[in-house]
Formats: sequence, structure tokens, C-alpha cells
Amino acid sequence: MLMTQYQRADAAALDELVRRISPKLLRYFSASRSIRHEAEDVLQECWVRIHRSRHTYRSSEPVMPWIYGIARHTSLDAYRKRKRLESHEVQMDTLPELTGESASSIPAPLERLEALIADLPASQREVIVMLKVMGMSLEEVARATSATIGAVKQKAHRAYRTLRLALSKDDNAR
Amino acid sequence: MPGNRHEDEFDRELEGWAAARPDAQVSPETRIRIHNKLSASLVPVNPIPSVKSLTLILFLVFAVCAGSLITIGDKAGFRLMTGRQMLIMAAVLVAGGVIFSFSLACRMVPGSRPGFPMALALMFWGAGMIGGIALLFPWRNSTAFVSEGWPCAVTELSIALAAAALFWVLAQRGALFPDADLGAALVGLSSALALLVLQFRCMFQNVLHLFVWHVLTAAVLIGTGALAARFYRGRRIH
Repeated sequence: MLMTQYQRADAAALDELVRRISPKLLRYFSASRSIRHEAEDVLQECWVRIHRSRHTYRSSEPVMPWIYGIARHTSLDAYRKRKRLESHEVQMDTLPELTGESASSIPAPLERLEALIADLPASQREVIVMLKVMGMSLEEVARATSATIGAVKQKAHRAYRTLRLALSKDDNAR
Repeated sequence: MPGNRHEDEFDRELEGWAAARPDAQVSPETRIRIHNKLSASLVPVNPIPSVKSLTLILFLVFAVCAGSLITIGDKAGFRLMTGRQMLIMAAVLVAGGVIFSFSLACRMVPGSRPGFPMALALMFWGAGMIGGIALLFPWRNSTAFVSEGWPCAVTELSIALAAAALFWVLAQRGALFPDADLGAALVGLSSALALLVLQFRCMFQNVLHLFVWHVLTAAVLIGTGALAARFYRGRRIH
């Protein structure tokens, strides 16, 4: 309903959408370790993309997968841009340790899991974030990532297996 | 089960990690900044047609272009192919048109369900093409394999590039986020069109010629399209 009003250029609907959806998007962007510190900038960029793409929303379709479909690309672009900048900065030997930033927001016992999740392939990490952090259903994740439900299940399964194996190795090493 | 960590313990740890995400409070300044930025260009927009309608539009363009090009061009293929060869090859190539029209339409609308992975679509369509050619056409050696073949590859390339430009313009109606799948869908649709036209124009209807100068050229084009879309995205975010 709000989206339809937004498509009709209703400024109040836009304001309400920004108020309701921004916290969810910020939570989504903050879940990615490498762009966490610039999540608010990414959020703004995401809203610009949502605005440019608003004609592609259809009222018969669920709104959140549409939003996350755009947010996902914004996040991926920000991540790649960050990686590129990091590689330049590392070459100049001036990059502060980014991974340290995350430690403050995550309880110490979970830091190990946080680090392992950060090391997962991007496609598996985004599925874990959408399923666990954002609480999305398999159907919603499939729509947001333009994948089939089977592909989402497979990525989640592979991610869980990798994480379980790594955690078990750590346990055995102690 | 991988490792010896208990599943419940792992689930608890993962749920704990998800719950420990930092609080996502958007500052009022950011909200106002977003609102001001967007409201400056807030005008009514018409919603895009559904994925089904977009698929139909793309396929109609595919069919009209193929039909026109076949009509105005050389029709050697009609004379050289049997009815069975024509029917099956046309069916496989038109199926490619439907598959890639749907894939491209899905990529124009964020949050739409693709139904099948692009890799699987390419695999099945490729298998259909290769199987159809291998079973329907004769294996004949030619002493002028290259000189007979390269004009076909050039024609295919020209038609596919022009068609890709046309479909790219049409796809701009949606919200495009370039990636390998988008590149493959766009060039796949253009290549299917080029292959369909070429199939009815070509006067060398034998397996080796069709494999190398038609199908292989299309495969190279689709691969290049996928890579180009990835590269384009990489450049765009630089």
C-alpha cells in the first residue's frame, strides 16, 4: 500500500517507508563486517537505488524481497569497492585493521563464529545473513537473491557444514 | 554429519550470533537527508508490467526480428533441410528464445523468482542444440571448412550484437544490476535469435560446420557477454 502511494509521488508515504524500512536495511548492512563502519552511507545509496527502481515494484508482489533484492546489490557493490580500496591502502601501508572494529559489537565467545562467517564465500554469507539475521524465509531469500529455493538451501547447507567443521576443528585443537 | 560438534550447540551459537547484531538505529539526520534527497525527484511512476508480460514482450520482439530477418535474407536452409530438421531446430531455438526472454525479464525486476538457475538453462539449451544437430544432420567433411565457415560466424556475430543492443534498450525499462547472469541472459537471447536466422540461411547444413561456426560462436558470445557484464559492474563501482 505504502509502496503504491510512493509510486504515486506521495511524500508522506516515502517518509513512512524510510522510517519503517531503514532500520531493517541498516541491520542488514551492519551484518557485513567489511562495510559495517560505512553502513549509513550504504543505506543512503540503497535508498537512491530504490527510488530509481521504484517503478519495478508491483503491488501484487511481496515488498521486502524486492527491497532486499536492491539492497543486496548495493551491499555487494559497497563490499567490492571497499575491498578495492583496502588493497590500494594496504599497498601504501596505511590501512587500519578493519577487523578490529567488529570485535566491540560482538560478545567475545561469538567472535570466532563471526570471523568464520566473514570468511565464507559472499554468496553463502549473504544467505546466512538473510536467513538468520533478517529472519527471512527461504522463499524471500530466493526472491531477493534471484535464485531458486533449492539453490538457497544448498548454499545455507554448505555454509553450515563449513562453519560446523571449522568450529569442531577449533574445539579439537584446544 | 561433518565434524563432531553437536547440532543443537551449533544452532544456539548461530542464533546467538544473529541476535547479537548491533542495534540498527538510523539517526534522524540520515533519515532527513534520505528524505530530502529522494523527495527532490519524487514524481509519479507507472509500474512495470509483470514478469510474464515482460517475457511476452521480449519474446515477441525476438519472434518479429527473427521472422523479418529470415524473410528478407537468403533462404538456402529452407531448401537444404528436411521438414523434420526444420521443425526440431526451430523448436530448440525458439525454446532458447523463451528461456532467455524469461531469464532477462526476471533480471529486470528485483525480487522476482527466476524458476531455474541460469547455468542449468544454458546447459539444457546447449544439450538440446548439440543433440539436435548431432542426430539430425549428416557428418560431412569439407575441404573448405574455414572459408565456408567464417562468413557464418561473422553474420551470427553481427546479428547477435545488433539484437543485444536492441534487447539492452528494452531491458532498461527495468532495474538492471549487471552481473554474469544478466550478461548471459541478454546475449543468450540475442544469440538464439542469430542462430535461428542463420539456421535458415546457411547452405552448409552438416554437423561439423553447425557445431563450430554456429554453436561454438554462440557459446563464445554468451561467455563473453557474462564476463563483460561482470567487468562492467566492476568498472561502475570503481
